[in-house]
Amino acid sequence: MWFISFVNSSIGRKAIMAVTGLCLISFLAIHAFGNAAIYMGSKYFQIYADTLHGFPVLVLLFGLGLLVILTAHVGFGVLLFFEKRKTQSRYRVATRVVENTFASRTMPYTGLFILLFLIIHVFGFNIAVPADVPISAVVKDYLSGFFYSLFYIVAFVALAIHLNHGFWSMLQTFGVNHPRYNCLIATLTIVVPVAFLVIFGGIPIYFMTGAGASF
Amino acid sequence: MSTIDLKLLIWRQKNSDSLGDFETHVLKDISTDMSFLEMLDVLNEKLTKDGMEPVAFDHDCREGICGMCGAVVNGVAHGPEKETTLCQLHMRKFASGDTLVIEPFRSRAFPIKKDLMVDRSSLDRIIQAGGYVSVNTGGAIDGNTTPVSTETAELAMDAAACIGCGACVASCPNGAAMLFTGAKISQLSLLPQGHAERKQRATAMVAQMDKEGFGYCSNERECEAVCPKGISISSIARMNREYLKGVFFGR
Ligand code: HEM
Ligand code: FES
Repeated sequence: MWFISFVNSSIGRKAIMAVTGLCLISFLAIHAFGNAAIYMGSKYFQIYADTLHGFPVLVLLFGLGLLVILTAHVGFGVLLFFEKRKTQSRYRVATRVVENTFASRTMPYTGLFILLFLIIHVFGFNIAVPADVPISAVVKDYLSGFFYSLFYIVAFVALAIHLNHGFWSMLQTFGVNHPRYNCLIATLTIVVPVAFLVIFGGIPIYFMTGAGASF
Repeated sequence: MSTIDLKLLIWRQKNSDSLGDFETHVLKDISTDMSFLEMLDVLNEKLTKDGMEPVAFDHDCREGICGMCGAVVNGVAHGPEKETTLCQLHMRKFASGDTLVIEPFRSRAFPIKKDLMVDRSSLDRIIQAGGYVSVNTGGAIDGNTTPVSTETAELAMDAAACIGCGACVASCPNGAAMLFTGAKISQLSLLPQGHAERKQRATAMVAQMDKEGFGYCSNERECEAVCPKGISISSIARMNREYLKGVFFGR
């Protein structure tokens, strides 16, 4: 079938990485927007969380969709990683003419670290939340811990590095490469990861430093 | 005339079935006006005189337009000079006392025939899969029947500059032939003459490329950096667009 041969093709696999990557970025954008309510205080954040969970079916469907997308992204990512290993170090002298960026070299590793983070994050703030404690209290409790917060910050840095290569790579995979926009894309591939880093990374810093003591 | 002395570590392999290894040779008084291939000619004369087997390497035009020559010199396909084929690389780019490690273009899809000679017919088979236009024969049409803007003609010409040497494959960390295939698809899809078979072309050529054992693209840009003809990775983006269009909207 055409879809099977598409998924098995070299460009098809990259397209899947790019489409799933774009879905994950879109999710992150919504997630960052919602979570920014934390900076307004526990009352607003609790209202946001309660409103969101007032649509349990939607949340469930969205969650399942994300799980499928993430599984595809990780699955193909690991597949591409092993394929790449087969062709490495075939020369006695290995020279790179364009030094590949730290970000592109570490894609599978930053990716796997994000995966580890996601498992811990979903477990802590979703699965293992006691029924009688409001989520805003759970968040404050966890993120006031130094090491828990530090882990969060490191994960957000990994995400920023992943997206620093991922964002432009995704556009190139889609075929978006035009002299008029390449400069904009080069800027966005820095601005987008930094924006995520600031919004998400600010949350653990907010609690860690005591700025959110009155949360 | 200035001359240099060199130490060569050069790949020797009897045929595709045997295991190869590096052989060391010292060359003295190499004129800096020589091209890289002329330096290899000097080595081969010396080897022949000494009763040894000369180093087999591919070449034809020796003026950078046919795409036959090519080897990896100190880890860089076609050597250290930007946008230059091995035959157009001159020995003045090296210093006396340099050690040059010379290896064939390596790829799963390029079996080594002998020493530095590799079989690049996999690239020809990609062309056969779709790198053509079908035209009915008949009376010759007027030259300006199909208008093409200068800009489009130039872009197509930039892509058509690809000489199919395989340096992109040799340098790609994934052993991909994306730059080659992208250039060949671009050259045809940019021009009106190439539009008729557009939807099948990319799908057929990419399928053949995968079948030959070339890798995928992780956007490392190494291919564009070593390409002797300066083909840009915007060709790869164009191929991706053509491919996605072909897969999702082709018949
Ligand atoms: C929210 C989390 C994530 C986001 C937003 C994200 C986003 C992206 C994007 C946009 C790309 C570029 C696609 C392309 O090159 O066309 C990418 C590539 C990649 N991702 Fe992720 N990703 C995430 C999580 C992960 C995880 C958990 C892994 C685990 C292995 C992973 C592994 C990879 C790999 C290996 C590549 C590069 C593939 C290649 O070699 O080109 N990613 N990611
Ligand atoms: S021999 Fe023709 S391009 Fe080098």
